[in-house]
Amino acid sequence: MNTRKTLTLELTGIIGAALVAILLGIIIIYIVSEEPLTAIQSLLLGPISSAFNIGTVLNKAVPLIFTGLALAIVFQAGVFSMGAEGQLYMGAFVGALAALYIPGLPVWVHLPIIFLAAICAGAIFGAIPGFLKAYLNTDEIVTTLMLNFIAILSTSYFVNNIFKDPASGGYARMQYIASDLRLGRIVEGFTAHYGIIIALATVIVIYLLLYKTKFGYELRMVGQNSRFAHYGGISTKKIIILSVVISGGLAALAGIIEILGVHGTFKDYFSINLGFDGIIIALLARNHPFGVAVAALFYAYLQVGAQLMQGASDVPRELAVIIQVILVLLVSSQAIFTFLRQKYLLRQGR
Amino acid sequence: MIQAIWEQVLNLTLFVVLLRVTVPILLSALGGMISMVGGVVNIGLEGIMLLSAFSSIAVGAATGSWLLGVVAGVIISILVSMLMGFFSIKLKVDIIIVGFAVNILGSGLTIFLMNKIYGLTGNYSPEQLNRIPSIHIPFIEQIPIIGKLLSGHNLMVWVSIIAVFLCLVLLYRTPHGIHLRAVGESPEAAASLGISVDRMQFIALAWSGLFAGLAGAYLSMGMTSMFVKDMTAGTGFIALAVVMLGGSNPVGILIGSLIFGLGSTITTIVQTIPGNQIPSQFVQMIPYVVTILALIILAIRKKKKQLELTSQSTTQS
Repeated sequence: MNTRKTLTLELTGIIGAALVAILLGIIIIYIVSEEPLTAIQSLLLGPISSAFNIGTVLNKAVPLIFTGLALAIVFQAGVFSMGAEGQLYMGAFVGALAALYIPGLPVWVHLPIIFLAAICAGAIFGAIPGFLKAYLNTDEIVTTLMLNFIAILSTSYFVNNIFKDPASGGYARMQYIASDLRLGRIVEGFTAHYGIIIALATVIVIYLLLYKTKFGYELRMVGQNSRFAHYGGISTKKIIILSVVISGGLAALAGIIEILGVHGTFKDYFSINLGFDGIIIALLARNHPFGVAVAALFYAYLQVGAQLMQGASDVPRELAVIIQVILVLLVSSQAIFTFLRQKYLLRQGR
Repeated sequence: MIQAIWEQVLNLTLFVVLLRVTVPILLSALGGMISMVGGVVNIGLEGIMLLSAFSSIAVGAATGSWLLGVVAGVIISILVSMLMGFFSIKLKVDIIIVGFAVNILGSGLTIFLMNKIYGLTGNYSPEQLNRIPSIHIPFIEQIPIIGKLLSGHNLMVWVSIIAVFLCLVLLYRTPHGIHLRAVGESPEAAASLGISVDRMQFIALAWSGLFAGLAGAYLSMGMTSMFVKDMTAGTGFIALAVVMLGGSNPVGILIGSLIFGLGSTITTIVQTIPGNQIPSQFVQMIPYVVTILALIILAIRKKKKQLELTSQSTTQS
């Protein structure tokens, strides 16, 4: 079976899973709702019903593309990190500080410094569980989950005390970042900001890194069979640490772009599980960068649709979560995909 | 500040609060331990607890019986863990992914149902609810210190302590426990002896569902009398950390849970002391920092042991 056929088969499987999940969502709507047609219409068609909504979908997809890429990289290296959420906070926090407290720089110097500061913060914070995994073989799932709490709580402390804008009330935030440093709209009158362009460019960069460089090849080797890679002369420790460092940098980009593009400043608890959503997206995308872009757009579409559905009908938006869970479980089922492959081979044999 | 804490130690408030907050950690950690012993890493404890907390208070409030509520929560939890087994064992989804999915499902589905059934978005506190009762022991109640030590605790406190002993007996004194451990330690060897690995792993998951279910029911009907969205607030993850530290020894799990319970007890007490200078975020952070440090220490010790073993074997040969 050649690679192209495998790819088609995988894609058919994933799209089929998405259809099944949406169908189950529709069935749930019919069970719980008194106005199922309105609900279904706003869920499925709402996101493309206006330019504003399309822009919202694009904006929501931006951080998801970054966290999805962040997790795709570590998953491909065989590291099951759950730390994107914490790295995202660290990146956003340090990036926002760089934006607020470095005075007197022209924008074209200042902006790269902000991004660099954010990436460094996320990368360093991401390196901690990487070193622990590489040298002590500690379980990265637990360490990253714990580090998430540490990142969220410590940034929360600083934004509630030292760096709090006195004008913000109970919902603590820093001072607003100067508007020329924020990511503006691509087209005036259309909600989408420049983040989507940066995100799509990053998708291509990560694709090239993973599939067209020696480093990417080594990284995928380590993920597929670390012992084999080790005997083949690849330094698995180096690969594991580099993968979490890059992943941390990507998660940090998600954070700082969300700050510069949407929120305007660092706000307490601003990321509602963007880092965890990234896990879902990487899983749906089978850890492929292009897949991440598609999955993130789909996910954002679903979220905007669910929000519109909650506004227009009596169905709560958490229906989207149920659809996502079904989808993740179906797509991750090796048994189903093995079955599909066997079916296909049998048909070829006939 | 230290004095204020010490006062609470002396008048046993600290002890009472410690028991209260340790129960959900201990019960869910025991659940995590049993599935781990059977070779299944259940990171879905958080989601299972939320589903149990919601269904137990819903049934408890509707029927007026706390017992029915707890039973409903436990049944739902066992069903969810069976479903996890179906996806991981039959459909071959990575168990970490299944656990992760259950966590987001637990959060989303409870909010969905709370909204659909009660029309509420943040929390549900029924006007009439028979909570899981507290046990007042006659006579002993009257004795000054011993009274406060032994009497007036929630029933679930005793259940969780009994559960520790139950797990000890189950895992180390029954054939069932030996089968579970065999499957966890070496599935191939267990299978060659005629033990069904799949079946034992299903049972391991069911056990973890049972205990996480009890923990969830306690959250909404013992510790509090309401359901708040995402009310577990990381308890399931802390339980996971306890399992990593305590290993497969129920007594170790008890000690680990008490340590984490103590951390959050001190958090609560420090936050209620007037004029407190320590920011709450840093106090809340203690358990997570301790977990990471403990994991590092354990890993270093393990590495040293391995090095010793390899050096021994090289000198022998």
